[in-house]
Amino acid sequence: MLNDHKKRIKEICDLMGEDFNAPSCREVLEHINQCPTCKVYYDTLKKTVLLCQENDCPEELPDEVNRRLMNLLNLRDFLNAPEK
Amino acid sequence: MNEKEIITLAKQGDKEALSKLVNKYSERIYNLALRILRNREEAEDVLQETFITVLEKLHSFDGRSSFFTWLYRIATNASLMRLRKKKLVYQQISDDPDFQESVESRVFVDWSQDPSVSLFDKEMKLKLDAAINKLSDIYRSVFILRDIEGLSIKETSAILNITEENVKIRLRRARQYLRDILSDYFEERVVSKYVK
Ligand SMILES: [Zn+2]
Repeated sequence: MLNDHKKRIKEICDLMGEDFNAPSCREVLEHINQCPTCKVYYDTLKKTVLLCQENDCPEELPDEVNRRLMNLLNLRDFLNAPEK
Repeated sequence: MNEKEIITLAKQGDKEALSKLVNKYSERIYNLALRILRNREEAEDVLQETFITVLEKLHSFDGRSSFFTWLYRIATNASLMRLRKKKLVYQQISDDPDFQESVESRVFVDWSQDPSVSLFDKEMKLKLDAAINKLSDIYRSVFILRDIEGLSIKETSAILNITEENVKIRLRRARQYLRDILSDYFEERVVSKYVK
């Protein structure tokens, strides 16, 4: 039983962020829904990644940084805002 | 003009084409380096190093991988090189394939639904930042490329030049480590709330 959890938990981790509708995921999903231990593991793992993603704030490239880069590359004639 | 045509022109030394490539990717590269190094000055250094390398090596880019993968590989390597030089003390994540041993001995508390779990919690934010900072280069790079930048396992493996299986193993360990840190923090709170 413990070994089964262990195996499942590996699978759950591998499947995170993948397509849960794939047939290979169905079996793991079924297990998650029946097994409280794996369910908690799955929910908290998902929440962890979500919190990390929300905590990540991409920054705009500062104008100064862009200018120094273009100067360095001898591209100052083409200096403009980075494409989004 | 599509990217392939722009690259062909840039290879011939066309400055406008080159500037198009730089403008298209500079912000992404800057953010990638920032995520790995967590320092703006160093991110700028990596940005500059990356495009200097692109200038030097563009002629040898053969299009077997996508330009994006090739560029990201250069930038990731440059970032990781710097990270290694810093010689920080990292959390030892066990290389034992059964690293999840602690899993079943641990009482699971579901904190994921707790309304107090949010980024408004400054202490939690600090914990999370510190935990990511403690991930050593091999785990941090995989976690950032896959979970933060949202690249596929395949792209991540191509950029880091490791097998897809290896990406999965490292990702598992990184996620597990971060989850354990947050769990230690939240479980205590959630439990004490219900014991009261
Ligand atoms: Zn289970």
